[in-house]
Amino acid sequence: MKRSASGLMAASAFLLATAFGHAAEPFNLAIPLPLTGGQAKFGEMMKRSYEMAAEEINAKGGVKGRKIVLSFEDSQAKPDSARAIVEKLIDVKKQPLIVGEYTSACAKAVAAVANERKTPYLIVASADDSITQQNYKYVFRQNVPNAYYAQGLVSFLREKVQPKTMAILYESSDFGTSGAADMEKWAGKLGCKVLVKEKYEKGAVDFKPILSKVKQAAPDVLFMVSYVMDASLLMKQIKELRLDAKLYAGGAAGFALPEFVDNAKDAAEYVMTATLWTPQVKYKGAKEYADKYKAKYGDFPSYHGASAYSALHVVHDALSRAKSMKSEDITEALKKTKLQTAYGPVAFEDKDGYQNQCFSETFVLQVQAGEHETVWPYAYANKKFIYPFPRWRDRK
Amino acid sequence: MKKPLIPLAVLAVLAVLPFSGLSTYMMHILILVLMWTTIGMSWNLLGGYCGQVSFGHAAYFGVGAYTAGLLYFKLQASAWWGIPLSVAVVSVFAFVLGYIVLKLRGPFFALATLASGEVLRITTENWNGFTNGTLGILIQERTWVAKTQYYYIILAITAFTFLLVRRLVASKWGYYFVAVREDQDAAESLGIDTTKYKTIALVVSAALTGICGAFYTNYMGFIDPHIVFALHDISIITIMIVMVGGVATQWGPLVGAGIMVLLAEWIRSIPGLGASHQAFFGVLLVLIILFLPNGIVGDFRKITRLFGRARA
Repeated sequence: MKRSASGLMAASAFLLATAFGHAAEPFNLAIPLPLTGGQAKFGEMMKRSYEMAAEEINAKGGVKGRKIVLSFEDSQAKPDSARAIVEKLIDVKKQPLIVGEYTSACAKAVAAVANERKTPYLIVASADDSITQQNYKYVFRQNVPNAYYAQGLVSFLREKVQPKTMAILYESSDFGTSGAADMEKWAGKLGCKVLVKEKYEKGAVDFKPILSKVKQAAPDVLFMVSYVMDASLLMKQIKELRLDAKLYAGGAAGFALPEFVDNAKDAAEYVMTATLWTPQVKYKGAKEYADKYKAKYGDFPSYHGASAYSALHVVHDALSRAKSMKSEDITEALKKTKLQTAYGPVAFEDKDGYQNQCFSETFVLQVQAGEHETVWPYAYANKKFIYPFPRWRDRK
Repeated sequence: MKKPLIPLAVLAVLAVLPFSGLSTYMMHILILVLMWTTIGMSWNLLGGYCGQVSFGHAAYFGVGAYTAGLLYFKLQASAWWGIPLSVAVVSVFAFVLGYIVLKLRGPFFALATLASGEVLRITTENWNGFTNGTLGILIQERTWVAKTQYYYIILAITAFTFLLVRRLVASKWGYYFVAVREDQDAAESLGIDTTKYKTIALVVSAALTGICGAFYTNYMGFIDPHIVFALHDISIITIMIVMVGGVATQWGPLVGAGIMVLLAEWIRSIPGLGASHQAFFGVLLVLIILFLPNGIVGDFRKITRLFGRARA
């Protein structure tokens, strides 16, 4: 019964498709994302951004006259689910390329499958350095790897802060661990001593023991790598403990999301964070995208959304240039990408031990009066940075 | 007389499945079903027959996975050697752990096993020099691109586990296990060395789970502490598989794994359900446990009656 019903549905869908003519046969693109669980906030923002990009592309005629029809598959941030989805897309749906995923663990699982099956995979916001260091021919990454995340922040520290001491707190994940290790290296180059380097369980509720340790060490700078719930909780407890550092900084991810400010409220004030993109960057289309997103969903998007939004434009560009819709031709076209996007210039290079990696500038945001403002690099800043931070007891 | 034919028939069907032109996607799902079946059966030996409800099977899964991963990572050996080696490593580990936790009973045992899984996860996360910490272990190139080989390997492991558990349960030891489950003090008074038989059940159960862990490393090509020592995604799912399928039944784990993997995947792919698929699946599981407390296999008669076979 069930089989015949689905057979009927498939047949009628086929009839409908043919009735509307061959030329308009849509280009189906399914995107794996975390839509439930701890990373759902990021997945949601990316989903909205993909949809916005698809709408624009379709309004301009789609890919070679075919409309892009998006669908989303929830991988729950589990590598085996992500792999199941991608196996299905490649093998059953015959999708010639893969875009998406968020956590590094899932991206690793997807990248391995994509490369084995010779299907191009465009990574949008997974940070772990090693993903593009495996000599994968078919794996492309649009965001800079983790080692570069804090570049903008480090240049700010070097030129404006010159810290003598630092404390690093990071969550126990590959994103947190590699982010903290990279910052430690930078600190060494800045001649800054790392007094405390502590890992915490992500999703923890009480950070006071490790924060007390930080308070005792009294570092100039406190650097934290966290996803969104931990980020706001950390700042709230820092405020409660009256832990005064000259500067609190986050390593992108949780600290760069609007939810961070919403959740941490006034404890988020002045906090700086590294980020890969800001709504104020002077890339063509960035402002339009950010404003449109804000009008629709009430908040400015973070770099995750911008990268997803631009990734679909990169896909559109590659598909339009590709000789055919075959994976090999799309890979070739992706490799030759030179596109100005809202996320910045996108081109995939083999450099510094990375393959098919896009390198772009990174920025520093600061929360001022409850909004994320771009304060560094100087050329992109829309507000002047506030430093040193006022002590907690001097704040209202 | 009819009985031994059923497992052979099931095995034959499973053995020819790859020739029916299944997509690699279906093969991936089937591999996961078989892997979970094996973990479920091994849990069933300890939790179902011997009555020691373990909330920490992720510990054995993870130790097995890391045995294979570290062989590759530290010694540049093939991770496949992890399968035989994990039997030894996990057995020793379970024996030592059993010495501590098997002295506890009921909820205390459950909590101790739960803690052991978590302790291991945190240890692996922090022992950077040895385990590569939270960065995990990535196998650069998996042995095969095709799924068929992996499928037959896990099928062999599953068949072996099925046979072993069946033999054990039918043997004298099996009766000791059940005696321990039903009333430990009574069993003791009858002269059964309960600690010994609980340890046997634990070590066998752990070693079988460890094999699956080693297989997982080879198959997925990437492990990190959060994945293989996961409390929810491994330990709890294992219990759910056996609960849904049927505790202390031969076929329960297979049915349970089929439901937990296939049905979850199917519900996840229903278009338009979006992020609510997990709630939907959760409600379904609650209903199964409410109305079929002995699991689908355990309450099979109830199901057939419901669907009107008894009406005739």
